[in-house]
Amino acid sequence: MSAWHRADGSLDPRKVRAAYPILATRPGGNPLHYLDSAATAQRPKQVVDAVSNFLFTANANPHRGAYALGTAATDAYEGARARVARFLNVPATELIMLGSATEALNLVARSWGRANIHRGDLIVVTEAEHHANLIPWQQVAREADADIEFIPVDDRTGEILWDRLDSLLKLRPKVVALAHVSNVLGSIAPLAEIASHVHAVGALLSVDGCQAVSNMPVSIPELGADFYAFSAHKMGGLFSGGGLWARADLLAEMAPIETGGDMIREVRLRDATFAEGTQRFEAGTPDASGTVALAAACDFLDELGRAAIHEHETRLLARVLRELPDALPDVRILGTPHAEGRAGLVSFSSDLVHAHDLATILDRRGVAIRAGHHCAMPLHEQLELSATARVSVAPYTDDDDLDALFEGLRDARAIFSR
Amino acid sequence: MGGMDDLYREQILEHHRTPHNHGVLAEPSVSLDGRNPSCGDVITMQLVLDAAGTITDVAFSGRGCAISQASASLLTDELRGKSADEILALGTPYVMELLGVEVGPSRVHCALLGLETTQKAIERWRSR
Ligand SMILES: Cc1ncc(COP(=O)(O)O)c(C=O)c1O
Repeated sequence: MSAWHRADGSLDPRKVRAAYPILATRPGGNPLHYLDSAATAQRPKQVVDAVSNFLFTANANPHRGAYALGTAATDAYEGARARVARFLNVPATELIMLGSATEALNLVARSWGRANIHRGDLIVVTEAEHHANLIPWQQVAREADADIEFIPVDDRTGEILWDRLDSLLKLRPKVVALAHVSNVLGSIAPLAEIASHVHAVGALLSVDGCQAVSNMPVSIPELGADFYAFSAHKMGGLFSGGGLWARADLLAEMAPIETGGDMIREVRLRDATFAEGTQRFEAGTPDASGTVALAAACDFLDELGRAAIHEHETRLLARVLRELPDALPDVRILGTPHAEGRAGLVSFSSDLVHAHDLATILDRRGVAIRAGHHCAMPLHEQLELSATARVSVAPYTDDDDLDALFEGLRDARAIFSR
Repeated sequence: MGGMDDLYREQILEHHRTPHNHGVLAEPSVSLDGRNPSCGDVITMQLVLDAAGTITDVAFSGRGCAISQASASLLTDELRGKSADEILALGTPYVMELLGVEVGPSRVHCALLGLETTQKAIERWRSR
């Protein structure tokens, strides 16, 4: 462990930063203070090296070539899938590799949803969902003439009001879809408890794990989810890549939504039968290099240790929460006021300085934050905000980054209080 | 910080703090909501046009960043007396000139929200 850690076992960001070449660059002439890892994480050298090693030594079309190199490519791809499965503590046979979390969430809705949601059925989601975990269900509901109900949020903090779930469950939904960690609120959903209530009424629990997997230990079997989606580029993998874990019996029943090569058993001119298992959902040449990269990203996150990452990030978030009100006196912080119960990010707004102006002013110091609705327009509508600023942290984030953030916030305050 | 002071210089901040022509008209010829889907800024542009297609009154409301609000405010100051055709011919350089500063690529859409909404409103009015 010691390569990345201090003697007490805590993550040493100074050591970790050495693995990320981009952190030594100066975009716009400033040292980079990257605080937008929730949108896309930076890639450690280990990941890029793994991809080039694969492409230079084992590149061929997986599942096809009857030659040694083809076997090497297949082994690399399937080995990478197995590695990602181990990262999430699920069998590789239940892990579908896809192009993104968006594809994964669409697969749940368009495959399981279309087959199981009928006229008058109910879908429950939260008001805080990322568009990728909302619109696919809107589409299913529209097509099936089904209903959607929403677990509401507190109209001041945006915190999801989980105590409203039970009354919605009395309406007997077929599925409840929600994020493990909200990409705006940063709050960790109490999944195990939610799952037991959801299952008690016979509904399924579909979880968007995008913001959880890289920021905290995640062992899917302990969560009680029936589906779990995640995104490679938020874990240090490549842009392309993501996956869906589906409970084995659900996966066995689900129909593919995309068809073509590599997902079939037998094809005749007028019909076809499909492969078993995950392969049925992976039409076309699989993204072997992306999956190899994701496996390397999992290796790296495990080397750092996900508990150590979470601890490191919690400490940074605690500092952000503590110092924000000093830097911006009218700040409105979304989600829980505490660092505990959060993973990876804090969003906030200020009447004095709009989020976009903040982001522009911070950029002058090389501080990269996200401003906007973060693909959660309905949540912002509920909060009567057009945009929020979001600061997100990662294993490579350090106190220098936060120093620069707070200096930039003071600049903004000075400019707008003139 | 030189560029910063340019972008957020007093004139822009002043228009942001106390935008001109801000509010709602009693009887607009046309009223249109403009939205910047990438960031959520919203603006409602209201115009009164005479029969010849000349703007006689204008008001806007909405919420957004200093750049979108200030450029809408600066723009509305210029609209009265201009013809629909003249306004439809305006583009990015005109807005940059009003702002008196080159807005970076990540913020151009904020600066243009007011003009684009005005132009769509005029098209809407024409096809009425
Ligand atoms: C909570 C959440 N869900 C879904 C997505 C979409 O993920 P992807 O970029 O892999 O499609 C994101 C990332 O933007 C996210 O934060």
